[in-house]
Amino acid sequence: MIFKQFRYEPLNQASYLVGCPKAKEAFIIDPIAGLGDDFYILEAADLGLAIVGVFETHVHADYVSCARELAEMNGCPHYLHENAPTTYEYTPFKDGDVFTVGKVDMTCLFTPGHTPEHTSYLITDKSRAEEPWAVLTGDCLFVGDVGRPDLLVGDQALDVMDEGERARTQFATINDLLFTLPDHVEVYPNHYGGSLCGGVNMSGKNSSTIYYEKKYNLAMQKPDAAAFAQFVQDTAKPLPDDYEKIKSYNLGLVEKDELQGAGV
Amino acid sequence: MTPTEVRAAQQEGAAVLDLRTPHPFAAEHLEGALSVQFNRADLVDRVELVFPEDLPMIMHGEPEAIGKVAAKLLSDAGFNVLGHLEGGLKAWKAEGLPVVQLPTMDVDELKERMGEFTVVDARDPFEFKYGHVPGSGILSWTEAWYEADSVDDDPPIAVICGDEIRSVLVASILVRKGKKAELVTGGMVDWVERDYPIEKGMD
Repeated sequence: MIFKQFRYEPLNQASYLVGCPKAKEAFIIDPIAGLGDDFYILEAADLGLAIVGVFETHVHADYVSCARELAEMNGCPHYLHENAPTTYEYTPFKDGDVFTVGKVDMTCLFTPGHTPEHTSYLITDKSRAEEPWAVLTGDCLFVGDVGRPDLLVGDQALDVMDEGERARTQFATINDLLFTLPDHVEVYPNHYGGSLCGGVNMSGKNSSTIYYEKKYNLAMQKPDAAAFAQFVQDTAKPLPDDYEKIKSYNLGLVEKDELQGAGV
Repeated sequence: MTPTEVRAAQQEGAAVLDLRTPHPFAAEHLEGALSVQFNRADLVDRVELVFPEDLPMIMHGEPEAIGKVAAKLLSDAGFNVLGHLEGGLKAWKAEGLPVVQLPTMDVDELKERMGEFTVVDARDPFEFKYGHVPGSGILSWTEAWYEADSVDDDPPIAVICGDEIRSVLVASILVRKGKKAELVTGGMVDWVERDYPIEKGMD
């Protein structure tokens, strides 16, 4: 298989290409407008791969997504978890759905907490083994930290779960789902280092393993969900600039010109 | 270039270089197009090895950005690039212009129907020498443009390479030169994986 992480340093953001050289097809996960549609198109083409699906782990609040445009340009679906409350159409999936390019399986793991539609993607390279080797954790689990639960707007911000409840959901999701994956599974997050989507303990390192995070992720060392929620609140960074505007754009609530350059 | 401009240039002898991967090309492409898979690293080198420098060329990439970048890379390198197809295959078909398929077969079908094809290997001589389909001949990808006319297409030609990238290029050249040619998908990688017979040497 072909696996590539693209880092956008100004926002400490990571997007991904997951592809199969035999099938000559690839998925793009969490593309960022800062790099731009053409960047992903040319990167995939350089690897001899056609883009056949664009996925997002969740609707982002700290950067402008280019998933809609990239999917449109490639004439392929834009996938989001069925809970995503966007005003535009996307191709919905459910927890457990499996998407395949050639010998590579990508399994959708519903991991709510950071947002109510948040999904992680488990990667299995069947040309080597039936066991997964990596998980794209989005803004659920970071290297050394976890995704913050307070970057929502509109109906999502007002929904039945308050911030504290969302933090408790995040704790359960990581413990009960991600930390039950095999120890060797590599963790590839949507952010690293200075990103404002996590707290002060985020590492500048761009990947980790389930074993290492289980053992050394500070927030996840807390004994229970309440202590975890308190820790996340105490170690939070300032809110990202313009996050309401950016999230509104990514949801389709406002047009691009209203962004006035925010989030790229 | 608009689809009608591309068609007019084709009729004047220009070649459309289809920059997509082999399978979408085989499924559907502009009539007369040549399959040259894109990448920024060595597109120019490969085009230089395959085609004469004065051949007028038009780029077809999907999405369009690929066609634009390829046009710039090749014209910067001194090739005679007329432009790229605007709007891609969709715009071409909307104008009612002709699209064609390249017939394909996998290695199992090739083995079963062996006598029904002239098997042509598109790889470099050193690869061919190391091991090829018994009874196949070599038409190396760098020679194909110049030697296609001398290939007998009765029975029709089945083109194979290591994977599919050079075989689809050679098959598209043969078709452009009026020959009956088909593409063997999966290439020697699949042939060897199935443990099918191999012949060594140059004869």
